[in-house]
Amino acid sequence: MIYMQKSSLSLSELNRSVRETIRENFPDTYWVRAETSDVRRNQNGHCYLEFIEKDPVTQVILARARGMIWANTFQMLSTYFEGETGQPFTSGLKVLVRVSVEFHEIYGFSLNVVDIDPAFTVGEMAKNRLLVLKRLEEEGVLTLNKELTLPELCNRIAVISSPTAAGYEDFCDQLAKNPYGLVFYTKLFPAIMQGEKSEASIIAALEKIYAYRHLFDAVAIIRGGGATSELNCFDSYLLATHCAQFPLPIVSGIGHERDVTVLDIVSHTRAKTPTAVAEFFVGHVAKSLAELIDLKKRLVAVSREFLQREKFSLSVLSKEIYHFSTAFMRDQLALIGQTAFRLRHFVNRMVQSLQQQEQQRNLRFRHALEQRLQNEKQTLLVSEQYIRMVSPENILKRGYTITIKAGKIITSAEKLQIDDLIETLFWNGKIVSQVKNLKE
Amino acid sequence: MEKLTYTEAKKELEAIVAAIESGELDVDALTEKVKRASELIAFCKEKLTKTDEELQKLLDDID
Repeated sequence: MIYMQKSSLSLSELNRSVRETIRENFPDTYWVRAETSDVRRNQNGHCYLEFIEKDPVTQVILARARGMIWANTFQMLSTYFEGETGQPFTSGLKVLVRVSVEFHEIYGFSLNVVDIDPAFTVGEMAKNRLLVLKRLEEEGVLTLNKELTLPELCNRIAVISSPTAAGYEDFCDQLAKNPYGLVFYTKLFPAIMQGEKSEASIIAALEKIYAYRHLFDAVAIIRGGGATSELNCFDSYLLATHCAQFPLPIVSGIGHERDVTVLDIVSHTRAKTPTAVAEFFVGHVAKSLAELIDLKKRLVAVSREFLQREKFSLSVLSKEIYHFSTAFMRDQLALIGQTAFRLRHFVNRMVQSLQQQEQQRNLRFRHALEQRLQNEKQTLLVSEQYIRMVSPENILKRGYTITIKAGKIITSAEKLQIDDLIETLFWNGKIVSQVKNLKE
Repeated sequence: MEKLTYTEAKKELEAIVAAIESGELDVDALTEKVKRASELIAFCKEKLTKTDEELQKLLDDID
């Protein structure tokens, strides 16, 4: 090694020296066991990732190294890997890779992958995650949160997020500016969303929400961006079992498209990003709103139709009533006419018959009267003759006389005494005589 | 409107619309049902779009 006079090196000299040392000491390629994280490809098709190693018990990261796979190599390896393991080459995989150890003066330390052993991954593939899931399943809690029903009006949302995260802001914005004018209530329950403390922090937030659970419809656990290697906590058994058994539906939006964590699996619904979580809630409530509008339309349509039908049948009915009543009236009038006619006829006949009877009676009466008059006349005539016969004049003419004493008619000889002067009336004059003798 | 949740209100509304659509109601029942349905729609719409200040305050008070 060459040293400068003042025993100092320029950075490039140092880095060059490190590079030389590494090249000398790691001239070969090496099989390395590690976990993949933050796997990504740039537009040239090169793959960049991080290799990490965790303490199997504590899950604390013990080592980390940048890695890269040249495009040509990656195309070949990833196809091979996917074919053998049944899943794409992605983050969170335990892999056995053959690497060359590189050091670049500018880009620093990195492992350049030249080969991969898929068999190792098949064995180790997300072993921890599978174990966790298996344990949750055995305990019968794996799908509990999924089995919860998201209420139709799901607008009171407890949010677990870092208060300063851009993702949280995106989430709130997305809800607030929803195009349907829907109301959402959010309450932030702050938590540390990365690193070793996050598991306990998120569980504490969940416990706090539990105390206020009657005020919420759902929980959103959100986290935007960040390296995948820092998503470890979301595969933790403890957090997963809390989430799975939480009484409110949990919607997760914690990672990137390429990372599905145990939390994502146990939560009610998994969305990729905080914005997607917000869109999920908006969509869910908007669906109910659309149904409501539809119900309203149906209600209006069906009641209008109903009323039209009623109106129509009413008009038919009223026509019928008019028709029937007119006919009825006509019938009744005809009936009355007939009756009146018959009545008049009857009365006429009655009157006629009475008149006839009257005439007959009159005739009989006159006849009887005339008879009677005749009889009376006859009787009168006889009486007259009789009266004429018995009149004093006639009697006197037949020789009878009337004796009068002192102006009174004497009908008995006893009323006379000797020497009484008496007048004797004849039919044609009177004489005065004196009583001389009284004979017994 | 009595103490009704959104879900209950919507269920009732759906039942009413279905009943009316079945065409088995007479005109008096229809009037009654339409009145009730209108109330339910207004109730649901309010729940969807109008901020409940009381609830907002409850949430704000959580520390």
